[in-house]
Amino acid sequence: MTEEPYRWLEAIANRREYVGEQLKSGSPVLAASLPDGILLLGVGSGQSKVFELFDRHALAGLGHPADIEKIRQAAIDAAHIEAFTRAPEDVSLRRLVGFGLSPQLKTNFEQIFSAPFLVELLLAELGAEPAHDLFFRLHYDGSYQMQTGGAVLAASQPDPEAAGQKWLKDALQGKTNRSEAADILLQAWWCISENKPMTDQIPAEEARRAGWREAVKGRVIEIGWLARQNARAARYQAPTISDLGL
Amino acid sequence: MSRSTPIAGDFLSLLAEHQLALTRVDAAAASPVQTQATTVFAFHFADGVLMAGDRRATAGNIIVTDRVEKIIEIDSTSLLAVAGVPATAFEMARVLQTSFEYYRRSQLQPLSLPARVRALARLLRENLPMTMQGIGIVVPLFAGVDHAASPPKAQIYFYDPLGAQFQAVGYAASGSGSGTIRSILSFQERFGQPLPSRMNLPDAVRFASRLLTTASEFDSATGGVNPDTNTFATIKVLRPGGVETITDEQQKEILRP
Repeated sequence: MTEEPYRWLEAIANRREYVGEQLKSGSPVLAASLPDGILLLGVGSGQSKVFELFDRHALAGLGHPADIEKIRQAAIDAAHIEAFTRAPEDVSLRRLVGFGLSPQLKTNFEQIFSAPFLVELLLAELGAEPAHDLFFRLHYDGSYQMQTGGAVLAASQPDPEAAGQKWLKDALQGKTNRSEAADILLQAWWCISENKPMTDQIPAEEARRAGWREAVKGRVIEIGWLARQNARAARYQAPTISDLGL
Repeated sequence: MSRSTPIAGDFLSLLAEHQLALTRVDAAAASPVQTQATTVFAFHFADGVLMAGDRRATAGNIIVTDRVEKIIEIDSTSLLAVAGVPATAFEMARVLQTSFEYYRRSQLQPLSLPARVRALARLLRENLPMTMQGIGIVVPLFAGVDHAASPPKAQIYFYDPLGAQFQAVGYAASGSGSGTIRSILSFQERFGQPLPSRMNLPDAVRFASRLLTTASEFDSATGGVNPDTNTFATIKVLRPGGVETITDEQQKEILRP
């Protein structure tokens, strides 16, 4: 079947459709660069969406838990090997994603007789200052986009993701407090999860706030915080929503 | 994407899988003079464990430097005090730092205190050829928080060069000046007022500085403490909540007459 190019293209298209369908109900994950650090946030079941990778690196993702786990483990292995054989300062997200995770995801996606990874990921690297914070948005087929500072979200569908990203850029403008930022990220999470428009028709702020509070009942808000000012090398913390005063 | 390591979360297994296992060098018959150290010790005080060491490294009768940090924070709940050959000791510290963090991140839980204590014992056992040839001997101290205890409590462990581990009740010391330190600590544990375990932090820091000063009187390989020349000890405190470094400035303030 696959020896014919058009059949191969068809097979790849089928895989995209399959992955899209499987990820459709995935809960988005979000991240924002703030003056004091990087905030990552997802709503899941606890230790299922947001993870520490290395001293200044974290990952958030949606998809099949087993696939997220495999990629998380691969990233942690690569980061620690790099840190041990060279130095912790040499662990960089650009190399981790560009030379490690992305090629492996692409290879796996194009091997059409094996199951594709059902994941959409965002990865964060803390810089010495917000302008040097780095985000990678990594897709199930190995493609990725890089962004410096600002806010990033990973959702299962591209259109809501783009609309959410645009809205977050404006909503987080001038916000420096991580509690305020967490509230805004949760508003965006609710809008995308509930298929609310994120244009001029977006629900009012009070409705958004009430919406996320209702929607997270019985679930765990997973928060990762990469602290810029910290005496220890490991900058990752996992505050609870009440630690943020929300 | 990634094969699991033979022992889940074990960093040494991961290194072996990537053919990056630590290499052991066979010692030549005529070995160079080694850089050595040290006096390090730890004792329980009212808030937790205080671990301190001098900063001198020597090679034979040569003082190599007076700026060595021999008390190393392995992670937020573990401290290592190194005595012996720094090249080996610092490498052990680096392996432990990476191993503990690797386990915590990959397994989503911290390594237990018994496992951390045994991890150091394993490194010492693997260093046996160097120890037996007398050129890579390391006799460390380890302090870690036992989260299985209620309430969590910082504990002190000492080792023999072959890797046997022992829990210290009140204190432990290692290195060329440790005889002096042990004598004073033993005396203070029995007859002291206050007992080390009841000292507050300033009293414990003052006591630690005096211990090192005394040890340096009898051991040329131990650097003392002299505020007049800005020569201070390395002092770290381990509490159930984490590690605190007592800086030179803090020591200077505490030791002010």
